[in-house]
Amino acid sequence: MATSTADQDQNTGVIPGEWHVRYNYSVGKVAGKYFDGLKARKILATRCNKSGLTYLPPRAYCERSFAECDEWVEAGQEGVIEAATIVSAQFENLPKPPYCIAYVRLDGVSTAMVNFIKEFDMGDLQTASSRVKPGVRVKVKWIDKPEGKATDFYYVLA
Amino acid sequence: MDVYVIGYASHPPAEKVLGKRLEEMVYDTSAQALRAAAIERSDLDHITIAACDELDGRSISNMLMVAPAGGYLKDELRVTDSAMVGLHLAAMRIASGRYHLGLLASWNKSSTAPFEDVMRMRCEPFFTRPIGLNATIADALFAQAQCAAGAASESKATAQSASLQRAAASNPRGLKRKAATADAIASSSYLATPLREGHCAPVTDGAVSVVLASGDWLNRHPEAKPLVRIAGIGAAIDQYYLGRDRLAGLASFKQAWNGALRQANVRSAHGFGAVEADCQTSYQALAYSAAIGLDGSPTFCPSGSAFAQNPYFCTGLINLIEAIEQVRGAAGPAQQSQTNFAAAHGQHGFAQQGNVVAVVERV
Amino acid sequence: MNKNVAVIGTGETVFRSHHPDKTYVDLAQEAVAAALRDANMEPQEIDAVVFSMAPTEFMGVNDADKWAVDYTWAAGKPFMRIHTGGATGGSAFHGGWLNIASGQARTCLVVGADRVAETPDAQHILNLIWDRFYEHDFALNTVTMIALMTQRYMAMRGLSEEQAARVVVRSRRNAMNNPYAHLKGQITVEEVMNSRPVSTPYKLFDICPRSSGACAVVLACEEVARKKCAQPAFVHGIGGIANTVFIGDRMGPHTDAEIGDFAEFVLAGRECYRQAKITNPRKQIKVAELYDPFSGMQFPKLESLGFCKPGEAAKLSDDGAFDMNGEVAVNPSGGTLCTNPIGVTGLVRHADAAKQIMGRAGAMQVSNVQRALATAVGGSAQFWAVTVLGADVM
Repeated sequence: MATSTADQDQNTGVIPGEWHVRYNYSVGKVAGKYFDGLKARKILATRCNKSGLTYLPPRAYCERSFAECDEWVEAGQEGVIEAATIVSAQFENLPKPPYCIAYVRLDGVSTAMVNFIKEFDMGDLQTASSRVKPGVRVKVKWIDKPEGKATDFYYVLA
Repeated sequence: MDVYVIGYASHPPAEKVLGKRLEEMVYDTSAQALRAAAIERSDLDHITIAACDELDGRSISNMLMVAPAGGYLKDELRVTDSAMVGLHLAAMRIASGRYHLGLLASWNKSSTAPFEDVMRMRCEPFFTRPIGLNATIADALFAQAQCAAGAASESKATAQSASLQRAAASNPRGLKRKAATADAIASSSYLATPLREGHCAPVTDGAVSVVLASGDWLNRHPEAKPLVRIAGIGAAIDQYYLGRDRLAGLASFKQAWNGALRQANVRSAHGFGAVEADCQTSYQALAYSAAIGLDGSPTFCPSGSAFAQNPYFCTGLINLIEAIEQVRGAAGPAQQSQTNFAAAHGQHGFAQQGNVVAVVERV
Repeated sequence: MNKNVAVIGTGETVFRSHHPDKTYVDLAQEAVAAALRDANMEPQEIDAVVFSMAPTEFMGVNDADKWAVDYTWAAGKPFMRIHTGGATGGSAFHGGWLNIASGQARTCLVVGADRVAETPDAQHILNLIWDRFYEHDFALNTVTMIALMTQRYMAMRGLSEEQAARVVVRSRRNAMNNPYAHLKGQITVEEVMNSRPVSTPYKLFDICPRSSGACAVVLACEEVARKKCAQPAFVHGIGGIANTVFIGDRMGPHTDAEIGDFAEFVLAGRECYRQAKITNPRKQIKVAELYDPFSGMQFPKLESLGFCKPGEAAKLSDDGAFDMNGEVAVNPSGGTLCTNPIGVTGLVRHADAAKQIMGRAGAMQVSNVQRALATAVGGSAQFWAVTVLGADVM
């Protein structure tokens, strides 16, 4: 049976597959309150008095002292860039470049939280990078109608 | 092994744990285990996690889970097979002499994830997935193989399920669900022949954290009170592809069992006050109890096994807790005659491809 | 009860984007067969198996290690799969060590395989590892995450992009001696600098490929090692540490381990070096096989692992201190920049380090290697594993 081409296809063939999985993540004790706070244009952090740390994103417990966080604190709406990068590549299922992601430590909070820095010129990468170096201050800016999602605010250069 | 359990905690079982993120569930359980062991997190020199990404609904689940489990800036290893495999690794870490005080954490919150679809995706894509296996179907194939070998029958499976459910109903540590009658079980719908719904233990949510210490650590901390010694652990895995021998033979179960008993210097199942096995279906209960000479014995799964609670991925560790309570005389209504040794078993993979048995000894 | 444990054999497949003629389990089998031959062992002489595999979403079969049981002579043995993200291969190696050091086994096979390019959705998958509520929406993936960290290191310690580009040049050149490496060849600093920008400061050539392939390592207790292997690679020390997933906790004045410096390696390295009695890594360690999927990562790692002071590594690198014939040969295999089959990469680092001690590194062989170091890193640069191997027992 001379089916050499077919045999070749069989050997180097591919079986396609896809898996669409849906999950239901319980919001839990803390995230719900944080997202409600966003609707009121407040950024709520949790504090552990045993370690003295104030956390964003908010936590139910302190990872270091391993005690429950015992207070909610309103974070300042200005802060300092701890790390930033400007993305030029188009990744599957991710935003159209260019965009800037940064970890910003808001005033009154011990840890930095990630969000986009928007509204600045990213045309020249070298110049744009130098404008978002660690230590640069930024401000929180709210979208018109906060919905209780992490994207209700973003950072802009102060 | 010079390995001791000095404390543990299990999360209150529930069909679905709502109102808490998985991280919060695990934090609560680990914090409780540390309190039970009367140690601080800072005392630990390592942490072992047993978790499944797909059931947790997150790739690299230990990224988010290591800190809630208690592992911040600790030496962490994680296994993906089952909680009892985690116990095996955790015990080896201490037995190596390199580590002395560790936390083992495992959980199951499969109300997050589509459980059977996760199982289905464990099929290799060429020969098995186009046909479609999942946990239930694999368990049904096992059930059929047991029947064909003359080791089981539907009526025996029904009776076994009824008896496990009765035990489960009075287990204070379980869900305390009302036991179904044999008639109700026998008339429940088939899921995949010969397996009926009533033969299967539903998967529930739960978490377990255990604190383990070396003998050396105990000598340096005479105020600490060990609960049990891990006298022996046996583990083995079977081949992946299912076939009659693979299904009926229970090869890796027997190997794990024999290995654990040899290490613990226990001669047979009769040397145990109780044997708590991971019975996802009553067919498994029939098969395991027969394999170790305990068919019909009250010392086999007095807790009700997975019918009391079934946090699938860590059901084996729930069994370990039941075994610990047996040797301590604290098992409540399930208590058998208190002896020095009890055994706990966990399984994982299609039709229990992998098995781990641990023997605990009273101290 | 610390038994002396050694590597007595290694096996690898060639690493490339795709292996269209082999399945996942075929790759694992090929590596195991090669490792057993290298170790002079028959399959039945293996007492236990540790499987090294990270997220299975890339190759699309959950618990693919269970499928691989039938292809790796693992049936009938104790078996576990270890998964710590990118650190998996290093953690799995530690798991193999533990099987023997605990007395539960006399020999242990550590094996893994990965096919990272099996799906076109790799970076999408790597976006899903972030916290669903707080981080998922912000386009974090492994590239942008490390880019952020390197930007921080650059601002703190003063690294230039050209200095990072020189690491690519050195790695690809070294990889020409490695028959298994994915990317290899002569490349210039200019070509790296002119490659497509991805996420500042990284351009395409600063970044590892997505590789497919397998690796296996045979470990044995000293008694078996002496019988089977002329020059085993003994495990002198192991160290591991995990940090929180939230990288924002690891920056700034309240961090316990500054992310820009990869300071977790100070902590993990301390314990590893204590066991291995390393007091001066630069003098005492001849080869370092580092887990560095990005060109800028070597510098903070070498510094945190004590090879030099913070901020000094780039100048040393420019001066050739880390070349094949330098003071410390860093990644003579080409390292992770040239080959990154995620779930196995850490194991490949350990195999490459072991080969240097065993004298089986072929064209990559550095002369007279008494001690070598291997690392693996995973999660949000969160899981850290380090091992020191030596030519004699401790």
